[in-house]
Amino acid sequence: MENLNVTVNGKFYSVQVDPSIRLVDFIRDNLFLTGTKVGCGKGECGACTVIMNGVSVNSCLIPVMRAEGADIETIEGLSDGGRLHPIQEEFIEKGAIQCGFCTPGMIMSAKALLDQNINPTVDEVREALGGNICRCTGYVKIEEAVLCAAERMRNEGK
Amino acid sequence: MKYVIARTAGEALGALTLENGKALIMAGGSDIMVELIEEKRSEDILIDVTQAKDMKGIRVENEHLVIGAAATMTEIHTNPIVKEYFPSLAKGTGSVGSLQIRNSATLAGNVVSAQPAADGAMALAPLNAQFVVLTTQGTKIVPFSEMYAGIGKSSLDPHREVIKEIRIPLSEPDEKASFIRLELRKSLSLPMLSVSAMLKYKEGRVEWSRICMAPVGVGPVRALKAEEYLWGKELTPTVMAKAGELAAENAAFRSNPLRGSKEYRRHSLPVLVRRALEDIADQLGVL
Ligand code: FES
Ligand code: FES
Repeated sequence: MENLNVTVNGKFYSVQVDPSIRLVDFIRDNLFLTGTKVGCGKGECGACTVIMNGVSVNSCLIPVMRAEGADIETIEGLSDGGRLHPIQEEFIEKGAIQCGFCTPGMIMSAKALLDQNINPTVDEVREALGGNICRCTGYVKIEEAVLCAAERMRNEGK
Repeated sequence: MKYVIARTAGEALGALTLENGKALIMAGGSDIMVELIEEKRSEDILIDVTQAKDMKGIRVENEHLVIGAAATMTEIHTNPIVKEYFPSLAKGTGSVGSLQIRNSATLAGNVVSAQPAADGAMALAPLNAQFVVLTTQGTKIVPFSEMYAGIGKSSLDPHREVIKEIRIPLSEPDEKASFIRLELRKSLSLPMLSVSAMLKYKEGRVEWSRICMAPVGVGPVRALKAEEYLWGKELTPTVMAKAGELAAENAAFRSNPLRGSKEYRRHSLPVLVRRALEDIADQLGVL
């Protein structure tokens, strides 16, 4: 076991972990934040996407110890005291969710983009979400939801 | 398992040496982690170099573009110096996997993993890069052409050696490069074929060229016949098409159930080589 210091959704943790596990295992099994999903487990679906130090990563490919000193955001950190984030609201509004398995990853990829670029082009949205696969909805509504969320966030000055 | 976070390249080498062949250097880990999960590999000790300060960053030094071995694909893809001198490298590093993967994977790792059609490695292949490698016997310089020992096999030993940085001679205004991939989809998929090239065009003639192709052998394969043919020639449509045909003579085609049959690849490769040359001619303003 090794000591890990990490901030997840604004909360600081100093804990003992098995260094051979992946970041996603730590998030799901140690912190019980099960919004982050494991689809393929090898970097090909994006269901496990979280934001680490400001950029989107596949948490299934990140060894847990790499999170030492890092700032991690997961889907659970998005809503503000019961109020959903505009990206979450737009996903619901536009029908960009069916089974929902890909949704946390999609939303975290979208958030990583909008945190840096509040006025993305369609191509930029596609680049940011290209690593997230959805097997139900198709991508049109998802793209629409992200663009509408961006517009709302611009208007709300977020 | 033991996990060591190295703060400098020297510290990483020290840790490798101490463990005497039992520890593995890992940068982004996007390949290594999958191999560990799928139990294709087992390692007792991992040495993480992503925090090694002297292995990060991208800079110009002594007429070379220097890319730290821990610089991510995203950092390379978006770097203004890379875009200015080597737009084809910016394109190649921006084609790897997906954004999430590019946010952790490295170019050095892309070469060491030694998969033939790796986009980052392919874009780098014609640029005459050198790898600065730390070993217990001292620092050695390994040219790109000597980095591959087989499919999926690097000539370096990641249990004993550490790549510190990649050095690329800065291009002159009359030297241009291109990277082209034939793809089924843009993200999360290896190309069916890829071609990269660089050449120097002086007084209306090709002074030298380097053309690389994949996946048609071990690592990026040089189209030596085409390069020889181009020497001293003017870049006309006929010459570029002929170079494409000749390129196929140095390629060994194999069928892949997802990414094209041998025959399809054989027919497409000359077109891609021609397009890469046309792209270069376009950048040089000769078309
Ligand atoms: S579970 Fe991580 S990318 Fe699929
Ligand atoms: S909604 Fe089911 S996978 Fe995307």
